[in-house]
Amino acid sequence: MSENDGSLSEVRALEAIGVVCEQCDWRYFAPGDGTIPDVSPSSVCPHCGSARLIPLDRDAADHLYSAPPELVVPFGVSEAKLAQQIATFASGIPYAPPDLTATALRHRLQRLYLPMWLVDVDVTTQWGAEVGFNYEVVSHQERYADGAGWRTAEVRETRVRWEPRVGTLERHYDNTAAPALETQAALQRVLGSFDLAGAEPYRPESLGRVLIRIPDRPPQAAWPDAAAALQERAARECQIAAEADHIRSYRWSPAYTDPAWTLLLLPVLAAAYLDDDGAPQRVLIHGQTGQVYGARRGSMKRAQRVSLITGLIALAIFAIGLVLALLSLLLPPLLVVGIAIALAAIPVGIGAIFPIARVWSYNRKQADVRMEV
Amino acid sequence: MTTFPPDGYQRVASTLPGIEVYAPVAEATEAEAAVVQFKCPRCQATTAYSAEEGGLRCAHCGYYEPPSTPAVGKRAQEFEFTVETVSAAREAAGWGTERRTLRCQSCGSETSLPPGRLTSTCPFCGSNQVLQQDAPDDHLRPRFLIPFAIDADRCRAIAREWLGSSWMTPKSLKTAAGVTELTGVYVPYWTFDARTSASWRAQVGHQVTDRTYDSSSKTWKTRTRTVWRWESGHVARVFDDLLVPGSDKLSSHLLRKIQDYDTQALVPYAPSYLAGLLAQAYDVPLESAWAVAREQMRDRTREACHGQASTSQVRNFSMSLDFSDESWRYVVAPAYVAAYRYGGQSYQVMVNGQTGAIAGQRPVDWTKVWLAVAAMVAPGLLLGLLGVLAAVLGTVMPPSLAVGGGVLLVALVLVIIGGVFAVMTLNKARGMDDV
Repeated sequence: MSENDGSLSEVRALEAIGVVCEQCDWRYFAPGDGTIPDVSPSSVCPHCGSARLIPLDRDAADHLYSAPPELVVPFGVSEAKLAQQIATFASGIPYAPPDLTATALRHRLQRLYLPMWLVDVDVTTQWGAEVGFNYEVVSHQERYADGAGWRTAEVRETRVRWEPRVGTLERHYDNTAAPALETQAALQRVLGSFDLAGAEPYRPESLGRVLIRIPDRPPQAAWPDAAAALQERAARECQIAAEADHIRSYRWSPAYTDPAWTLLLLPVLAAAYLDDDGAPQRVLIHGQTGQVYGARRGSMKRAQRVSLITGLIALAIFAIGLVLALLSLLLPPLLVVGIAIALAAIPVGIGAIFPIARVWSYNRKQADVRMEV
Repeated sequence: MTTFPPDGYQRVASTLPGIEVYAPVAEATEAEAAVVQFKCPRCQATTAYSAEEGGLRCAHCGYYEPPSTPAVGKRAQEFEFTVETVSAAREAAGWGTERRTLRCQSCGSETSLPPGRLTSTCPFCGSNQVLQQDAPDDHLRPRFLIPFAIDADRCRAIAREWLGSSWMTPKSLKTAAGVTELTGVYVPYWTFDARTSASWRAQVGHQVTDRTYDSSSKTWKTRTRTVWRWESGHVARVFDDLLVPGSDKLSSHLLRKIQDYDTQALVPYAPSYLAGLLAQAYDVPLESAWAVAREQMRDRTREACHGQASTSQVRNFSMSLDFSDESWRYVVAPAYVAAYRYGGQSYQVMVNGQTGAIAGQRPVDWTKVWLAVAAMVAPGLLLGLLGVLAAVLGTVMPPSLAVGGGVLLVALVLVIIGGVFAVMTLNKARGMDDV
């Protein structure tokens, strides 16, 4: 397990080349000899779903952190569940764009690993906190009813007694996770958290030809998050050391030595469909749970087409009614029929608005779904 | 963190290597001598607690030692009903029942202390001694006490005044009755705090008056009936320092009458407060006292629930009540137990050593009482006789018949009024020697 101090111009041990999307400028490691997975070299960018990926220029590649990852969370969602999740995602959309079908999405599914930093570090500190100990008290509940008198029940309640504690800590902490992407928090918010307990040691062959997102957050930037996570771990351990049931108001002044940074890879699947304007709409799927996230947009063009046809039908009905009304000059009984037919055109005409209104309303709700990842 | 570990912290066990844990040093529990003796540092005479001054006073040379602990009042520590404490209290039910032998450190004589007694005065050399008795749980020792604020002389005066304060007692009682024994004793009490939260539901009766026309009699008739409506409500009560006597050796009737102690005067327990006085350990265990307190609390809460009903007519009343924030203290409070003899009989008196409230038995001069009763009913009876006489005369002088009837009516009213007062007087007289 090789670890390094986090400088970005480090090891070149990961057998992969850096590639970049021509359109969105997202960067990936493409494992292997530089060929882009699956549909090389015309593979689409999992982020924007449209543009081609091209190798990074030499200058940029020189500044990549390319040490092999330490841990990998494997893809765990079954094919059946994936198909069901995608089918659910693609269904129930009013006037869905022609490109938004379960089949098309499944066909475009692309596996992707998102990085997270792991830091190993020695921590030395003095600490202080309030620790809580559970204890039970005996209380009473009483019931009274005329005729029956009082009935008493003894109940036990758990309360917490808080006591101050101070101490020293000299511990080594392995694999404290910190976001390696600026959008990590947003990603976890929409897809849910990953079960890191299932992480496996990295083996080059286990990655296959799956793209790995290149961290856009250097270890220095990720350090505050790592420090917060370390504090949380230390607080929990101090609670255990003090044999307490709770801990609060934890304070420390840590000194960190020998930090070593490695990567943890999180599995996601990406797909995309083209909306009305031909713009790719991204869909992301949690690689462990199958949770799908993406904007489900109805096709306004299809809705307009249906509205237009319905409007024309209404117009035709109205015209027929009008003609019959005119003919009533020759054959009076036709007047009533003509008026009835003309009136019937009104609800049909109003109904013509419905497809547009429905898609407009549906898309407005979907406007909240933004692809931040 | 400048100095580490901070003052007052000591290292405690840690379950993880690499982590040291320091906890505050437990409050120093003074190494208490089994028996504390009170000797004047100047003349070696015996010192005793002075209720007037609030400290130790040597009657021989006048040396005075002020009290060592200031009043903490209601801030006095309270304890929760933890499972451990409740178990310890159950086990401690017999605490204090063993007879203890106290060896006087002055003259070496041995005195046998009766059960529950915590203090003694050596009968041979007069030394005051306080026994620091062990309890199975540290909480179950008196941690706080209300000091004596009234000395024996003032108490004696209060008792004298009280003895002569009623017309029902013999005239010579105030002067003839010598209060033979006036013993200052610290009486054990449990104090309880709790919140009660109750929800109730009941049918509440409302009087409704109907007016109907009776066609047969061609009159309007009024009928009052009760309409029952369901009502419900919620009551929350806070109980602070509810006192329950911890002694079953003293009359609970008298203790209740004098227990208006002000817990603001609570001071941390120190043996010097007990010097020269008697002190009893509790013999009503915590659990039993708490049951008594809970009963009082729930009854008062039930009364409050009844008070919320829109009328006083209530039926099918039910309520559920939760206790919370329950806590307790074990304290000792000052009382004087006095005995005096009169007419060959012995009578008991109890005086609150803090407030001077007094309760007890007094002999009744029944001649006075019966004379008073006779005086109350006599006017009515005499008037009745006159009325009968007038009525009899009415057989010969018809107008006096009407007069006799009127007099009889007035006599009846007077007899009733006199009878009520007579019964009240007799009850009061009977209650005077009731304990």
